Amino acid sequence: MLRSDPERLIRETMARFVDQEVIPIAEELDSKGEFPQALFQQLAEMGVFGIRYPRGQGGAGGNTTLYCIICEELARGLMSLASITAMQCLMGTNFLFHYGSDQMRADYFLPAMRGEKIGCFCMTEPEAGSDLGAITTRATAVDDGYLINGMKTWVTDGPEASFYTVLCQTDPAKRLRGIGYFFVPRDLPGVSLSPRFECLGTRTTPICEVAFKDVLIPNEYRVTPEGRGLSCFLAILAEIRTMTAALGLGLQRGAMDASMQYTKERQAFGKPISKYQLIQSKIARMATNLEASRLMVYNAAAMIDRGEECMKQATMAKYFASEAACSAADECTRIFAGYGYSMEYPAQRYFRDTRFLLSGGGTHEVLQTNIARWEGL
Amino acid sequence: MQIIVFIKQVPDTTEVKLDPKTGNLIREGLASIINPDDRHALEAALELQAAHAARVTVISMGPPQAIDALSEAMGMGADRAILLTDPAFSGADTWATSYTLGKAVETVGEFDLILCGRQAIDGDTAQVGPQLADYLDLPQVSYVYAIESVAAEQLVVKRRLEDGYERVECRLPALLTVIGRMKTPRYPRMGGLLKACRAKALIKVWNAADIGVTTAEVGLEGSLTHVIKTFAPKFERRGEMLSGETADVVQTLVDQLKENRLIAP
Amino acid sequence: MPVWVEIDLCDGCQRCLRKCPYEALSLVDGKATIGERCTACGACLDVCRPGAICTDVKPRTIPDFSDHQGVWVFAEQRAGILNRVSVELISKARGLAQDRGQTVTAVLIGNQVAPLADTLIDFGADQVYLAEDQLLADYRTRAYARILAQLIQTHKPEILLMGATPIGRDLAPRVSRRVGCGLTADCTDLKIDPDEGILWQTRPAFGGNIMATIANRYSRPQMATVRPGVMEAVPVPGHQGTVMVHQPALDAANIGTRILDTVKVARTGGDLAAARIIVAGGRGLNDAAGFETLRELATVLGAEVAGTRVAVEEGWIPATQQVGQTGLTVRPELYIACGLSGAIQHRAGMLDSKFIVAINKDPLAPIFKVADWGIVGDLFTVVPELTRQIEAACDIMCAQ
Repeated sequence: MLRSDPERLIRETMARFVDQEVIPIAEELDSKGEFPQALFQQLAEMGVFGIRYPRGQGGAGGNTTLYCIICEELARGLMSLASITAMQCLMGTNFLFHYGSDQMRADYFLPAMRGEKIGCFCMTEPEAGSDLGAITTRATAVDDGYLINGMKTWVTDGPEASFYTVLCQTDPAKRLRGIGYFFVPRDLPGVSLSPRFECLGTRTTPICEVAFKDVLIPNEYRVTPEGRGLSCFLAILAEIRTMTAALGLGLQRGAMDASMQYTKERQAFGKPISKYQLIQSKIARMATNLEASRLMVYNAAAMIDRGEECMKQATMAKYFASEAACSAADECTRIFAGYGYSMEYPAQRYFRDTRFLLSGGGTHEVLQTNIARWEGL
Repeated sequence: MQIIVFIKQVPDTTEVKLDPKTGNLIREGLASIINPDDRHALEAALELQAAHAARVTVISMGPPQAIDALSEAMGMGADRAILLTDPAFSGADTWATSYTLGKAVETVGEFDLILCGRQAIDGDTAQVGPQLADYLDLPQVSYVYAIESVAAEQLVVKRRLEDGYERVECRLPALLTVIGRMKTPRYPRMGGLLKACRAKALIKVWNAADIGVTTAEVGLEGSLTHVIKTFAPKFERRGEMLSGETADVVQTLVDQLKENRLIAP
Repeated sequence: MPVWVEIDLCDGCQRCLRKCPYEALSLVDGKATIGERCTACGACLDVCRPGAICTDVKPRTIPDFSDHQGVWVFAEQRAGILNRVSVELISKARGLAQDRGQTVTAVLIGNQVAPLADTLIDFGADQVYLAEDQLLADYRTRAYARILAQLIQTHKPEILLMGATPIGRDLAPRVSRRVGCGLTADCTDLKIDPDEGILWQTRPAFGGNIMATIANRYSRPQMATVRPGVMEAVPVPGHQGTVMVHQPALDAANIGTRILDTVKVARTGGDLAAARIIVAGGRGLNDAAGFETLRELATVLGAEVAGTRVAVEEGWIPATQQVGQTGLTVRPELYIACGLSGAIQHRAGMLDSKFIVAINKDPLAPIFKVADWGIVGDLFTVVPELTRQIEAACDIMCAQ
């Protein structure tokens, strides 16, 4: 039976989309810093947001490997578009899909797949990031549901979102065993947003604070079963980290492509700078890091698809690919020299966007501690 | 309404690189894409599919790898696809290709409209569509860039000319060759692509025997024209600096332009 | 595999590698190896001295075509106006006919187009077949194809040429299928092979990256469409020819298409990617008004106007017309660079042009390094002079 390879097919489709639709306007979008609504809508029409969800339930019937391919290709063009897409595919809609009622799926999940509604994920608080047990946003059981009170920050897509998946503490005494996820539509009374943050990179991704004051939600909006909030989060954490690694991989490719082109075109002392060994050294290092990142990302993704435990592989992939992205963007700006400092060329954008990778999915300080612990320290 | 769309998988010639030493084409690593005009033909068919409940069958002749072009067409929304693949088909000129495609249409049977791209970017001949129309004895309109209206018996289309366009009424069944329009063809849907990769997908693979042709009638053997040689066009720059009085210098330049047929003599 | 190499016999001489039109052969461990691009065309068989290349493909016999005589040209007209390519082809046909010791025939189809026959004869047609009918007033594929096919089947020409225009490229394949002959599209060079006496048809392929020479050995007429503008139209003063009227037998019901209306669209400019000629300017134009100088040249050339990043940023031309790394990449036949230095970022967008002309005050401008012809001078003197001379040169032929 002659059939196409789905991974190649999806990669080629996304690559063509990025080359034709994203790269030509990437600099313009980034300098404007507005939410890329037109591209977001195109991605919705292509059914990209449902890549991880099953067919027949609003999804495309793909898997984590295909999801990472999409994130990688988009990040090659514009990191902020990739991060918006990654959010909509995974964190913004995951608990709604798995634990929401049929009505909630009809009202929110399916519209999200069609690009009509945007979902986002509220984890970090002003005083609690990786330390999940320290969160103070409370979900208090009342007669007909829960009252949500607290403040979330660094909410990716927050200003554009229609609904939030919010990590809350139900019982401070239980610490990590008390946390759980709650579904909060933005239009409920008591939900308020801060102005958009001014950020260094990923400038089309809107980020803000979201405050909840006595927001009353029905019982069914508790989207993780009692006592299982942490395990539900850990169930997608490896995927989040692998996806973040795929974003770093895509950024490395963007920086690599730009560097390769420039080294061949730019002349110095009568020959292209690609002929100089110090430039070759930079390219060789970028290429090697890229290959290693690729192997780590798709190894972790394949393990997730096979249902294997891979927190360590995913964490290492995220740590390595993000650091490699920082290094690639740094080298890229050096290869471009003066033009690397100019806002007209993409080198500066890669450089700024890498900083997004350092905190999303866990800071590298925490990740390194985790890795060391898994190695037996 | 039954629509047949022919598509061809081609190397992306906009990415072509030449070997600096030999001047030969570097074909390795060239991406394979659906020929751009064919993509517009498919988009036109899918718009008719939505507006007139048409059923769209996509057919491609090519090596086994051309299955990817058909999977992509399925991802865009085609109802079914047929790959014509057989070693005997290779090396075909447009005469042999139009015969092969004609036999495939006869094997498919019923249809109201056939859409092809105007020309493929690897050959640029624009011949297969009209030759197929003649083989099937259909009216044809080439260089179509808009389908204005479709009725049971006829359609009205716009045909691009050098200096404008003409509106043509054409009886059905008919064959149109389509050129690019302002509107970009849709991208395939992820779910559609993944569905096309499944064993159950409505994609058939036909060889020479399936469409009732013999190897002598198709491919290189069945062709009437043959490539004798290929060579790289000259590309080095002349670097001639013209100097003297303006009128004389310009006269020299104009003569050079005429000699190289860049302006009318 | 219909063609294979007997490894023991191969001496690694590589003649077959050079002969293969499809680059299907390569040398592996000193022996010729046939790759998947092989189409079994047999070109390698003749050059293999040790006889290492074998085939089970039976050789094709070439039929006797001695009853096919004459070089024909389809004379394309619309609304009684002859397309220039038709007289270009008649001039080319004369050369081919001389090589073959034959005559040139034009086929003129339409309604009330008889006066055009004189022009065809003036350019060297020895005979003109004239088919007139009200049903032929508009070009319609099936009607025209029917008449042309009838004439071919009756009079059996050896060669038939048409312009590679929207009409020629619509009609030629249809006719070739009808009369059962091979067809080569969009040729840029035609010549008679002195050995075999057949027509060698050379055309660009692969987006113009390679040239291919094609033969049509197994059918007649040898049919080709030819790109407008590549052949030279040369009038033959005092040339005499005869007009032969062909009575078309047409069934209106069987044509299948009807032209509702024809609309001329003024050229709005803009499509740089498709432009045959581009006139580009940069900082040296000084202001938006400076670009008017370029537009005048572009108008007489039928060219598009483009600019560098500077010209766009200064607002002298729209961003859609920017050529270069952050703009468009273009590959026209002719690129005339005026008052632009040719920074690498600009050159990246235009280096694939077939011919480049540079006009600049600064003799050290890098644009001269990539130019075919360079003129050091003030563009505001040189360009108007160029416009004037080209206009004068064109006037001679524009009456066509």
